[in-house]
Amino acid sequence: MSTGFEAFRQWVQALAEGGYLPPSLAYGFAVNALLAGLIAGPVLGGLGTLVVVKRHAFFSEAVGHAALTGVAIGILAGEPYTGPYGALFGYCLIFGIALNYLRNRTGLSADTLIGVFLSMSLALGASILLVLAGRINIHILENVLFGSILTVSGTDIAILAGVGLVVLALTAFFFNRFMAASFNPTLASVRGVPVKALDYLFVMLVTVVTVASVKIIGAILVGALLVIPAAAARTVSRSLKGFVALSVLFALVATLAGILIPMELDLPVPSGAAIILCAGILFLGCTAARAVLPALKGDPA
Amino acid sequence: MNAPVLPPAVSPVAARGPAVAFERVSLLLGRTQILAGIDLSIEAGTVHAIVGPNGGGKSSLVRCLLGQAPHGGTVRIDWPGAPGRIGYVPQALEFDRGLPMTVMDFLSALVTQRPAFLPPKAPVRAAILAALAEVGMEGKAGRRMGALSGGERQRVMLAQGLMPAPDLLVLDEPMAALDEAGALIFETLVGALAARGTTVVWIEHDLAAVRRLADRVTGLSRGVLFDGVPEAELTPERVLALFSHRAGGAA
Repeated sequence: MSTGFEAFRQWVQALAEGGYLPPSLAYGFAVNALLAGLIAGPVLGGLGTLVVVKRHAFFSEAVGHAALTGVAIGILAGEPYTGPYGALFGYCLIFGIALNYLRNRTGLSADTLIGVFLSMSLALGASILLVLAGRINIHILENVLFGSILTVSGTDIAILAGVGLVVLALTAFFFNRFMAASFNPTLASVRGVPVKALDYLFVMLVTVVTVASVKIIGAILVGALLVIPAAAARTVSRSLKGFVALSVLFALVATLAGILIPMELDLPVPSGAAIILCAGILFLGCTAARAVLPALKGDPA
Repeated sequence: MNAPVLPPAVSPVAARGPAVAFERVSLLLGRTQILAGIDLSIEAGTVHAIVGPNGGGKSSLVRCLLGQAPHGGTVRIDWPGAPGRIGYVPQALEFDRGLPMTVMDFLSALVTQRPAFLPPKAPVRAAILAALAEVGMEGKAGRRMGALSGGERQRVMLAQGLMPAPDLLVLDEPMAALDEAGALIFETLVGALAARGTTVVWIEHDLAAVRRLADRVTGLSRGVLFDGVPEAELTPERVLALFSHRAGGAA
């Protein structure tokens, strides 16, 4: 895979030098970032449709924030601060699975429970970070919080590609069953859908893709890319086909624009913030289109 | 779920539904006794109606039958041969009204594994259209689910219960939102299923419909209050007693 990746980088760099692509892509790190965006965008956009259908938006945000604590734990445990993946995956998976386990056992509504977990997790993360403050350059946390294209390495891309492929395959394979379980769990069970197991699978999919995307989008905003493109697509589409296709497209456009525009215009904006701003603009555009074009409002309910 | 989807009326299989036996079935949720000491047998190939007050445990009984409730006692489904297909038509659907999902999307999400955002394969599409035609929803496959009326949504739910052709069909208040035309279609369908030997377990509040269609009827309010043929059981006194019965003050 690394030779293919190397060939891709050289090809893109050659195109950039030849003036066919934006000149900033003549830099190796920029190609890395672009590649990461090309993978993360569509995967997050595709899975995002199910996040919206299953009303897991707040959960996705919470998992992203848990990544901050995961990074802190990783650095504390001696993992490299540029990619503490062990602690990131470990902590976030425990966070997501524990949340899902308690959801049906506390009698609390999902948003209350997520609120509790989110605050506990952030408090833990903040405490550990202060302990670490003397040991590391605290500015690297900016990268963790808001994403940075400068630090995307080959390892990051390999992890993102692996995770992305698995998540995409499982999402497509179980798409109908995730949908059916959200319509009516009893009906889904009668039709042979393992509803509870799929709930766990879903939180795990959201968690791993979130963690793998933290590098370019950042812990604070990664959850947003699971929600905003799908939300934008929902407002202007009339069938599942349009919903999924537009969500993937919006996420891809937002990611690429968010990476390329700051580089081209020399803006000191973190990649995560730029990506989410682009997604937000698409969302506002879709809302405006829906308000202006009566055809998008769908048949009268 | 992967099984071939057969348009029900087009392929009259010589299927015979199972018999169902409830033996001392009880259900305790929290501190509430929902069902207590239910002994009930449903004969193979009959239309068996279950009537009773709200909170009397009708839907819970069905959930026990479908293996979806932590009940005591046993529920036995005696298939005539290899286990057949169970169809289920729930009372309500949980989905966001604004979801961009057409009737075709919804049904293909339920009856196939091919992701519903891709166009369904031709045979599946044909089966879905046939089932929709059977419930009088032809030409409405492209409508948004959220834009359907309550009655239309109920017809779609009925259509999914027919795919694949069920040997045991469990209906939870299928007529609650149906208009007159819908009710007529429903009665025709139940008649056709019964003629084919499908066992139909049917929760219903409309006692006139039960009299017309059901072979047997059970009055349920925490326990079985009566069980027999509708003409004999649904006397005014029985019905009054059933609906004024308080399920141990727990319902």
